[in-house]
Formats: sequence, C-alpha cells, structure tokens
Amino acid sequence: MTEAGERVLLLVGSPKGLEKSNSARLGRLLLGELEKRGWKSEAIQLHESVRSEIGLPALFEAIDRAAVVVLASPLYVDSLPAPTIRAMERIAAHRVAAADAMRLPRLVTLINCGFLEARQNDTCQAILRRFAERARFEWAGGVSIGAAGPATKRTRRALDLLAESIDLELLIPNEVESMTRKPIMPPWLYVLGGNIMWKRWAAKNGAKERLRDRPYARTDR
Amino acid sequence: MEEKNGLILDGATDLGPDTGRAGGFAAGVLRDRGWRVDRLALAEVEIAPCLGCFGCWVKTPGVCVIDDAGREVASQMIRSALLVFLTPLTFGGYSSELKKAIDRAIPNILPHFRLVRGEVHHRRRYPRAPRLLGVGVIERGPVDPDEEELLETLIHRNAINFHAPSDGSCVVARSDDDESAHRAIERAVGRVIGS
Repeated sequence: MTEAGERVLLLVGSPKGLEKSNSARLGRLLLGELEKRGWKSEAIQLHESVRSEIGLPALFEAIDRAAVVVLASPLYVDSLPAPTIRAMERIAAHRVAAADAMRLPRLVTLINCGFLEARQNDTCQAILRRFAERARFEWAGGVSIGAAGPATKRTRRALDLLAESIDLELLIPNEVESMTRKPIMPPWLYVLGGNIMWKRWAAKNGAKERLRDRPYARTDR
Repeated sequence: MEEKNGLILDGATDLGPDTGRAGGFAAGVLRDRGWRVDRLALAEVEIAPCLGCFGCWVKTPGVCVIDDAGREVASQMIRSALLVFLTPLTFGGYSSELKKAIDRAIPNILPHFRLVRGEVHHRRRYPRAPRLLGVGVIERGPVDPDEEELLETLIHRNAINFHAPSDGSCVVARSDDDESAHRAIERAVGRVIGS
C-alpha cells in the first residue's frame, strides 16, 4: 500500500471542464475510490492551464506534488483535443529541462470516445505512452472506454479495481481492460440509437431538415 | 477528372523542430506533378479550440458555431483534393497547432453513424474528400520505427474518419541530408497520389 496521504492529480482534457464533462466524471469516480483509501486529490482542467500565464507554472507544481497523475480526456479525431496536446508539449519541455530534481510520478490515462468500440482509443493511448516516456512519467497504463464513457456498473467496478491497483502499486489487472472494452450493446443498435439521437437533437434546434447541408460544397465539381 | 489542389497545414510550434524544409520539399514534389499547392502556417492563424458541443452537427449543420478562421480553414480543407498534415512529430502524433485545425474540421462529416468493417464511424457529408498525407519532422535521426508506425496509424485512422480515398505518411529528420529527406517525402507523396 502507498504511503499515507499520497497525492493524486487529475488532469482533465475536456473543454467542458471539471463539472460537466464525462472525462471529469470518470476521473472523479477514480479519485473517489482513491480518497477512500487515504489519498489526497486535486484536479486541473488542461484547457485552463494553457490559456493563461499563471496556469502552466501551477500545473507544473501540481505534477511535482503528485505521486500519481490521472489524465482523463475525450478522444478527438483519433487523438487528444488540441489544448490537451499543447499542455503535454509544455509539460514535456518543462520536465525535460528540469529533469534532475524531479520525481517520476506514475501516469494513468482514462480515454473515452463517442464510438462504441473502446479500441478506437488505442492510437491515442500509444501517443500518451510516448508522452509518458518523453516527459519523465512512469507509464502505469491506459484505460479505454467507448460509447462516450457511461458510468455503468461495470465501469464503476473497473475503476474500483483500477484504484486498488494504483494504491497497491500493482500493474493494472487485465480484468479492468476486459470490463471497459466490452461493448455495451451490439454495433447495429448503437448506430440505430445514435442516428435517432442526432435527428432528435437537431430537431430540438430546428435544424433537422438541414442536417445534411453542404455549406462548403463547390459548384464546379 | 480529379482536381489537383493541395493544402499543406503546417503545424510548426514555438517548441520546434522547424518544418520549413520538409514543407518546401512536399510543395515542390507536388508542383512537379502538376499540383497547385497552398501552405498555411497554423501558428499564425487564430483558431479557437473545438468546444466539443456538436453544434456544427445539430445547430448549424456543416459550420462550426465559433465564428473565426477555423471556419475558413475547414472550408479550404474539404475543397482540397489533398491535405498534407505537416507536423513536428509530437509523441508520435500531431502538434497542438496542427490539431487545432483538425479538431475544427468535424463539421465536414455528418453526425450519423455507419459501420465500417464492423466499427462505428461517421458518415460522409460531401461526395468527395481529400487524400491525406502526413509528414512528421523530428530534430535528429535516426527515425524511431515505432513512432513512424504510430504516425502512419494515426493518419490511416483519420483517413477512415474523414473518408479519405488514400493516405500515407513519412517522418524526416532535420539532420537528414536534403537528398534523403526529399526522397522520403517523394515516396510518401507517390503512395498517396500515385506516381
């Protein structure tokens, strides 16, 4: 078990912030499990960190205080949102430049995508693993969640197991991956339900008839 | 007949490495093959980050709700026959400068889902989509084959999601001599647009 009062830092990569995003919700569930085991926690939204002059030094200091860093983010076009990558670029540059004095926190990543299949996060997780190596983190592992990261009973159980492995400094058990990677429904049903949802959402905005508009279509081809 | 207009999205950042030479080679190779090429230095373009609100799908279909240069770049992207994602190789992927433009290009596809080889993806909005070429730049060689493969995979995954008819990538080092770097880019261009 880890030392009493060790600190875990949640970095949220969603533009929707610490309150409204699925990424933050998943991250906070994990933090809650760690707090039950005696961990102290703090959370930072990366979009805010890169937006201001004071944001980055505060981010660097928070990382220095942490034994474990959890990066929770949505998948944006097979990778991370641009401001999250900006934060990673700056973190890596800072940590490489000041390498001697730094501890190596463990990095755990929680990536959720809007597609059904958790495996669509794999490329992003590979990028994050590279980031961990370059920015002097100890790679503890990545957890991928599909279907926009619903906090199902199975996901909660997986996060509980993940918290246990972090607390005991163990490798993330295969059981976590098998739970989070299992699709919550058949693909055809996800497509059907998703398409109904998009149409209803557009209808609420009075845009249902314009859903397939092509505003940038060229007339010469 | 396919129009030959290419757009180089240059994702150079203040943290380096410089992408100037690789971008020049890519433009030269394409022009030698009869392509018109525009190049956009994204660090000089103010593009706000994607809000993740899906407004571009369900409120103003096909147009981002943020009224800034991101709209014009998305328009240029879908009107091109080839996109060159030129980037300092950043943990095997794209720089933040390049990614800010890519994130804002999702209005160019539909929200509707479909299955592609058993995987859920979004449907196309436009009948034609640009081919995709990734050019990653590192400071010093040799190129790490794992990172090269990672960029290739990322470009290929983007090609599926953006409906690109072909895709490919290469990684060049600033320490490479001109001939080697030029040849690597020429080969990658050939894979994407044909020789």
